[in-house]
Amino acid sequence: MREGFDDIHWLERTRAEGDVEAWLDEIPYARRLGVSARPDPDEAGLLFRLEPHQGNIGNILLPALHGGVVAAFMETAATLDLMMATRSPRLPRIVDFSIDYLRTARFEETFVRCRLLREGSRMANVQVTAWQEKETLPVATARLHFVLCTPAG
Amino acid sequence: MSPRTAPSLDDWRRALTRFVKVLPHCRELGLEVHDVTAQSICLRQPWHDDLLGDRMRGLVHGGVLTMLLDTACGSAVLRGLPAPEVCPTLDLRVDHYRPAVVGRDIFIEARVVRVTESVVFTEGSLWQVPEKPVARGIGNFARLGDRNTPHGLVEALFADEVLDA
Repeated sequence: MREGFDDIHWLERTRAEGDVEAWLDEIPYARRLGVSARPDPDEAGLLFRLEPHQGNIGNILLPALHGGVVAAFMETAATLDLMMATRSPRLPRIVDFSIDYLRTARFEETFVRCRLLREGSRMANVQVTAWQEKETLPVATARLHFVLCTPAG
Repeated sequence: MSPRTAPSLDDWRRALTRFVKVLPHCRELGLEVHDVTAQSICLRQPWHDDLLGDRMRGLVHGGVLTMLLDTACGSAVLRGLPAPEVCPTLDLRVDHYRPAVVGRDIFIEARVVRVTESVVFTEGSLWQVPEKPVARGIGNFARLGDRNTPHGLVEALFADEVLDA
Protein backbone atom coordinates (compact mmCIF):
# COMPACT_ATOMS: atom_id res chain seq x y z
CA MET A 1 0.00 0.00 0.00
CA ARG A 2 1.39 3.40 -0.96
CA GLU A 3 1.68 5.88 1.88
CA GLY A 4 -0.44 9.02 1.83
CA PHE A 5 -3.52 10.68 3.26
CA ASP A 6 -5.91 8.15 1.74
CA ASP A 7 -4.14 5.20 3.41
CA ILE A 8 -5.93 4.66 6.74
CA HIS A 9 -3.08 2.65 8.28
CA TRP A 10 -0.51 5.30 7.42
CA LEU A 11 -2.86 8.00 8.72
CA GLU A 12 -3.46 6.10 12.00
CA ARG A 13 0.24 5.50 12.56
CA THR A 14 1.45 9.05 11.78
CA ARG A 15 -1.37 10.47 13.90
CA ALA A 16 -0.53 8.25 16.88
CA GLU A 17 3.10 9.36 16.60
CA GLY A 18 2.12 13.02 16.24
CA ASP A 19 4.19 13.05 13.05
CA VAL A 20 3.02 16.33 11.46
CA GLU A 21 6.28 16.41 9.47
CA ALA A 22 5.19 13.27 7.58
CA TRP A 23 1.93 15.05 6.73
CA LEU A 24 3.70 18.23 5.59
CA ASP A 25 5.86 16.07 3.28
CA GLU A 26 2.65 15.24 1.41
CA ILE A 27 1.74 18.94 0.98
CA PRO A 28 4.16 20.59 -1.50
CA TYR A 29 2.51 24.04 -1.34
CA ALA A 30 2.84 24.15 2.48
CA ARG A 31 6.51 23.18 2.13
CA ARG A 32 7.03 25.92 -0.42
CA LEU A 33 5.52 28.49 1.96
CA GLY A 34 7.64 27.26 4.88
CA VAL A 35 4.95 25.96 7.25
CA SER A 36 6.02 24.03 10.36
CA ALA A 37 4.27 22.80 13.51
CA ARG A 38 5.22 21.87 17.06
CA PRO A 39 3.33 20.96 20.22
CA ASP A 40 1.80 24.12 21.64
CA PRO A 41 3.84 25.16 24.72
CA ASP A 42 0.87 27.02 26.24
CA GLU A 43 -2.07 24.70 25.67
CA ALA A 44 -3.14 21.38 24.16
CA GLY A 45 -2.81 21.07 20.39
CA LEU A 46 -0.36 22.47 17.87
CA LEU A 47 1.34 25.81 17.33
CA PHE A 48 2.02 26.54 13.64
CA ARG A 49 4.72 28.79 12.25
CA LEU A 50 5.25 30.38 8.83
CA GLU A 51 8.84 31.28 7.98
CA PRO A 52 9.38 34.74 6.48
CA HIS A 53 10.36 33.55 2.96
CA GLN A 54 11.11 36.19 0.29
CA GLY A 55 8.79 34.24 -1.99
CA ASN A 56 5.82 34.84 0.34
CA ILE A 57 5.88 38.61 -0.17
CA GLY A 58 2.89 40.21 -1.88
CA ASN A 59 3.71 43.89 -1.36
CA ILE A 60 7.35 44.82 -1.91
CA LEU A 61 6.93 48.42 -0.76
CA LEU A 62 5.96 47.74 2.87
CA PRO A 63 7.10 44.85 2.62
CA ALA A 64 4.15 42.62 3.54
CA LEU A 65 3.25 38.97 3.09
CA HIS A 66 0.76 38.11 0.31
CA GLY A 67 -2.67 37.96 1.95
CA GLY A 68 -3.39 34.79 0.00
CA VAL A 69 -0.26 33.19 1.45
CA VAL A 70 -1.43 33.99 4.98
CA ALA A 71 -4.80 32.43 4.05
CA ALA A 72 -3.13 29.29 2.66
CA PHE A 73 -1.02 29.00 5.83
CA MET A 74 -4.17 29.25 7.98
CA GLU A 75 -5.98 26.64 5.88
CA THR A 76 -3.02 24.26 6.14
CA ALA A 77 -2.92 24.72 9.91
CA ALA A 78 -6.68 24.20 10.25
CA THR A 79 -6.51 20.96 8.24
CA LEU A 80 -3.57 19.46 10.13
CA ASP A 81 -4.85 20.58 13.53
CA LEU A 82 -8.20 18.98 12.75
CA MET A 83 -6.56 15.71 11.63
CA MET A 84 -4.83 15.54 15.01
CA ALA A 85 -7.90 16.61 17.04
CA THR A 86 -10.75 14.43 15.71
CA ARG A 87 -12.03 11.52 17.84
CA SER A 88 -10.81 9.01 15.24
CA PRO A 89 -8.54 9.35 12.17
CA ARG A 90 -10.43 11.31 9.54
CA LEU A 91 -9.48 12.97 6.28
CA PRO A 92 -10.86 16.54 6.07
CA ARG A 93 -11.99 17.99 2.74
CA ILE A 94 -12.51 21.75 2.68
CA VAL A 95 -16.03 23.04 2.01
CA ASP A 96 -15.62 26.76 2.58
CA PHE A 97 -13.15 29.25 3.94
CA SER A 98 -13.60 32.80 5.20
CA ILE A 99 -10.86 35.17 6.34
CA ASP A 100 -10.84 38.65 7.88
CA TYR A 101 -7.65 40.66 7.46
CA LEU A 102 -7.14 42.71 10.60
CA ARG A 103 -3.60 44.09 10.23
CA THR A 104 -0.80 44.09 7.69
CA ALA A 105 1.20 40.86 7.91
CA ARG A 106 4.77 42.16 7.93
CA PHE A 107 7.75 40.33 6.51
CA GLU A 108 8.49 38.39 9.71
CA GLU A 109 7.54 35.04 11.28
CA THR A 110 3.82 34.39 11.67
CA PHE A 111 2.08 32.04 14.12
CA VAL A 112 -1.26 30.28 14.04
CA ARG A 113 -3.39 28.47 16.60
CA CYS A 114 -6.66 26.65 15.79
CA ARG A 115 -9.80 25.76 17.72
CA LEU A 116 -12.10 22.94 16.76
CA LEU A 117 -15.51 24.47 17.53
CA ARG A 118 -17.59 21.57 16.31
CA GLU A 119 -16.89 17.99 15.33
CA GLY A 120 -20.01 16.32 13.95
CA SER A 121 -20.17 12.89 12.36
CA ARG A 122 -19.73 14.42 8.88
CA MET A 123 -18.84 18.10 9.33
CA ALA A 124 -16.32 20.08 11.32
CA ASN A 125 -15.92 23.80 12.00
CA VAL A 126 -12.47 25.22 12.80
CA GLN A 127 -11.57 28.73 13.91
CA VAL A 128 -8.08 30.05 13.23
CA THR A 129 -6.11 33.03 14.55
CA ALA A 130 -2.85 34.31 13.07
CA TRP A 131 -0.48 36.77 14.72
CA GLN A 132 3.08 38.06 14.52
CA GLU A 133 4.86 39.76 17.41
CA LYS A 134 1.90 39.73 19.82
CA GLU A 135 -0.93 37.23 20.03
CA THR A 136 -3.20 40.01 21.32
CA LEU A 137 -2.74 41.81 17.98
CA PRO A 138 -3.92 39.23 15.40
CA VAL A 139 -3.14 39.88 11.73
CA ALA A 140 -6.04 37.70 10.58
CA THR A 141 -8.83 35.41 11.79
CA ALA A 142 -10.44 32.71 9.69
CA ARG A 143 -13.13 30.06 9.90
CA LEU A 144 -13.51 26.89 7.85
CA HIS A 145 -15.97 24.08 7.29
CA PHE A 146 -14.70 20.64 6.40
CA VAL A 147 -16.35 17.38 5.39
CA LEU A 148 -14.83 14.54 7.40
CA CYS A 149 -14.06 11.54 5.19
CA THR A 150 -12.95 8.10 6.26
CA PRO A 151 -10.02 6.91 4.17
CA ALA A 152 -10.04 3.46 2.60
CA GLY A 153 -8.31 0.63 4.47
CA MET B 1 -1.94 61.68 -12.51
CA SER B 2 -3.93 59.78 -15.15
CA PRO B 3 -2.68 58.68 -18.56
CA ARG B 4 -3.24 61.25 -21.29
CA THR B 5 -5.62 58.94 -23.15
CA ALA B 6 -8.00 56.41 -21.59
CA PRO B 7 -6.11 53.10 -21.44
CA SER B 8 -7.23 50.48 -23.96
CA LEU B 9 -7.84 46.84 -23.00
CA ASP B 10 -4.34 46.05 -24.28
CA ASP B 11 -2.92 48.80 -22.06
CA TRP B 12 -4.77 47.21 -19.16
CA ARG B 13 -3.45 43.77 -20.03
CA ARG B 14 0.11 45.12 -19.89
CA ALA B 15 -0.56 47.13 -16.71
CA LEU B 16 -2.06 44.14 -14.88
CA THR B 17 0.77 41.91 -16.11
CA ARG B 18 3.14 44.42 -14.54
CA PHE B 19 1.06 44.34 -11.36
CA VAL B 20 1.06 40.52 -10.94
CA LYS B 21 4.77 40.31 -11.85
CA VAL B 22 5.60 42.73 -9.04
CA LEU B 23 4.08 40.34 -6.45
CA PRO B 24 7.05 38.06 -5.66
CA HIS B 25 4.88 35.08 -4.70
CA CYS B 26 2.93 35.21 -7.98
CA ARG B 27 5.95 35.99 -10.16
CA GLU B 28 7.77 32.93 -8.82
CA LEU B 29 4.78 30.70 -9.60
CA GLY B 30 4.52 32.13 -13.13
CA LEU B 31 1.03 33.69 -12.84
CA GLU B 32 -0.05 35.45 -16.06
CA VAL B 33 -2.79 37.78 -17.27
CA HIS B 34 -4.96 35.72 -19.63
CA ASP B 35 -7.59 38.23 -20.70
CA VAL B 36 -9.02 41.64 -19.89
CA THR B 37 -12.50 42.68 -20.94
CA ALA B 38 -14.57 45.75 -20.16
CA GLN B 39 -16.27 43.88 -17.31
CA SER B 40 -13.73 41.43 -15.94
CA ILE B 41 -10.14 40.26 -15.81
CA CYS B 42 -8.91 36.69 -16.18
CA LEU B 43 -5.60 35.31 -14.89
CA ARG B 44 -3.95 32.01 -15.79
CA GLN B 45 -1.84 30.00 -13.35
CA PRO B 46 0.28 27.59 -15.42
CA TRP B 47 0.72 24.19 -13.83
CA HIS B 48 3.48 23.99 -11.17
CA ASP B 49 4.11 20.92 -8.97
CA ASP B 50 4.31 23.12 -5.86
CA LEU B 51 0.58 23.88 -6.17
CA LEU B 52 -0.24 20.45 -4.77
CA GLY B 53 -1.86 20.01 -1.37
CA ASP B 54 -2.04 16.22 -1.59
CA ARG B 55 0.88 14.74 -3.50
CA MET B 56 -0.40 11.16 -3.60
CA ARG B 57 -3.88 11.94 -4.81
CA GLY B 58 -2.75 14.79 -7.08
CA LEU B 59 -5.03 17.48 -5.61
CA VAL B 60 -4.33 21.22 -5.61
CA HIS B 61 -3.98 22.91 -2.19
CA GLY B 62 -7.19 24.78 -1.34
CA GLY B 63 -5.04 27.70 -0.18
CA VAL B 64 -3.65 28.07 -3.70
CA LEU B 65 -7.19 28.84 -4.86
CA THR B 66 -7.63 31.43 -2.08
CA MET B 67 -4.30 33.04 -3.01
CA LEU B 68 -5.25 33.16 -6.71
CA LEU B 69 -8.69 34.56 -5.93
CA ASP B 70 -7.19 37.29 -3.72
CA THR B 71 -4.76 38.21 -6.51
CA ALA B 72 -7.43 38.21 -9.23
CA CYS B 73 -9.96 40.20 -7.20
CA GLY B 74 -7.20 42.68 -6.28
CA SER B 75 -6.35 43.04 -9.98
CA ALA B 76 -10.02 43.61 -10.79
CA VAL B 77 -10.09 46.36 -8.15
CA LEU B 78 -7.28 48.27 -9.91
CA ARG B 79 -9.18 47.92 -13.17
CA GLY B 80 -12.53 48.89 -11.63
CA LEU B 81 -11.60 52.17 -9.94
CA PRO B 82 -11.69 55.57 -11.66
CA ALA B 83 -7.95 55.84 -10.89
CA PRO B 84 -5.84 52.98 -9.42
CA GLU B 85 -5.67 53.18 -5.63
CA VAL B 86 -4.02 50.98 -3.02
CA CYS B 87 -6.75 48.69 -1.64
CA PRO B 88 -5.84 46.05 0.94
CA THR B 89 -8.11 43.00 1.21
CA LEU B 90 -10.64 43.45 4.00
CA ASP B 91 -12.07 39.93 3.84
CA LEU B 92 -12.41 36.99 1.50
CA ARG B 93 -14.80 34.04 1.34
CA VAL B 94 -14.21 30.95 -0.82
CA ASP B 95 -16.59 28.05 -1.59
CA HIS B 96 -14.93 24.87 -2.84
CA TYR B 97 -17.12 23.04 -5.38
CA ARG B 98 -14.74 20.30 -6.50
CA PRO B 99 -11.00 19.70 -6.10
CA ALA B 100 -8.60 21.19 -8.64
CA VAL B 101 -6.34 18.44 -9.97
CA VAL B 102 -2.71 17.89 -10.92
CA GLY B 103 -1.31 18.91 -14.30
CA ARG B 104 -3.87 21.43 -15.54
CA ASP B 105 -3.64 25.23 -15.69
CA ILE B 106 -5.97 27.15 -13.37
CA PHE B 107 -7.99 30.10 -14.70
CA ILE B 108 -9.31 32.82 -12.39
CA GLU B 109 -11.88 35.35 -13.50
CA ALA B 110 -12.76 38.31 -11.29
CA ARG B 111 -14.93 41.39 -11.52
CA VAL B 112 -15.90 44.42 -9.49
CA VAL B 113 -19.53 44.29 -8.42
CA ARG B 114 -19.82 47.66 -6.69
CA VAL B 115 -17.59 50.57 -5.70
CA THR B 116 -18.48 52.83 -2.79
CA GLU B 117 -16.57 55.69 -1.21
CA SER B 118 -14.74 53.34 1.15
CA VAL B 119 -15.13 49.77 -0.15
CA VAL B 120 -14.79 47.83 -3.42
CA PHE B 121 -16.93 44.66 -3.62
CA THR B 122 -15.64 41.92 -5.94
CA GLU B 123 -16.40 38.35 -6.94
CA GLY B 124 -14.44 35.69 -8.76
CA SER B 125 -14.47 32.11 -9.92
CA LEU B 126 -11.83 29.50 -10.72
CA TRP B 127 -11.82 26.59 -13.15
CA GLN B 128 -9.53 24.18 -14.95
CA VAL B 129 -12.12 22.88 -17.43
CA PRO B 130 -14.66 25.41 -18.80
CA GLU B 131 -18.14 25.16 -17.26
CA LYS B 132 -16.76 23.14 -14.32
CA PRO B 133 -15.97 25.68 -11.58
CA VAL B 134 -13.61 24.42 -8.85
CA ALA B 135 -14.28 27.34 -6.53
CA ARG B 136 -16.01 30.67 -6.29
CA GLY B 137 -15.44 33.55 -3.94
CA ILE B 138 -16.17 37.08 -2.93
CA GLY B 139 -13.63 39.61 -1.69
CA ASN B 140 -14.09 43.07 -0.23
CA PHE B 141 -11.31 45.64 -0.44
CA ALA B 142 -10.79 48.82 1.60
CA ARG B 143 -10.14 52.01 -0.36
CA LEU B 144 -7.26 53.92 1.18
CA GLY B 145 -7.80 56.87 -1.14
CA ASP B 146 -5.50 59.10 -3.14
CA ARG B 147 -3.70 60.34 -0.06
CA ASN B 148 -2.41 56.85 0.85
CA THR B 149 -1.64 55.72 -2.68
CA PRO B 150 2.07 55.93 -3.48
CA HIS B 151 2.84 58.80 -5.81
CA GLY B 152 3.47 57.48 -9.30
CA LEU B 153 1.42 54.25 -9.05
CA VAL B 154 -0.53 55.06 -12.20
CA GLU B 155 2.63 56.06 -14.09
CA ALA B 156 4.36 52.88 -12.92
CA LEU B 157 1.48 50.69 -14.12
CA PHE B 158 1.11 52.41 -17.49
CA ALA B 159 4.69 53.64 -18.02
CA ASP B 160 5.30 52.49 -21.60
CA GLU B 161 1.70 52.86 -22.67
CA VAL B 162 1.67 56.53 -21.64
CA LEU B 163 4.80 57.17 -23.70
CA ASP B 164 3.41 55.16 -26.62
CA ALA B 165 0.05 56.94 -26.59
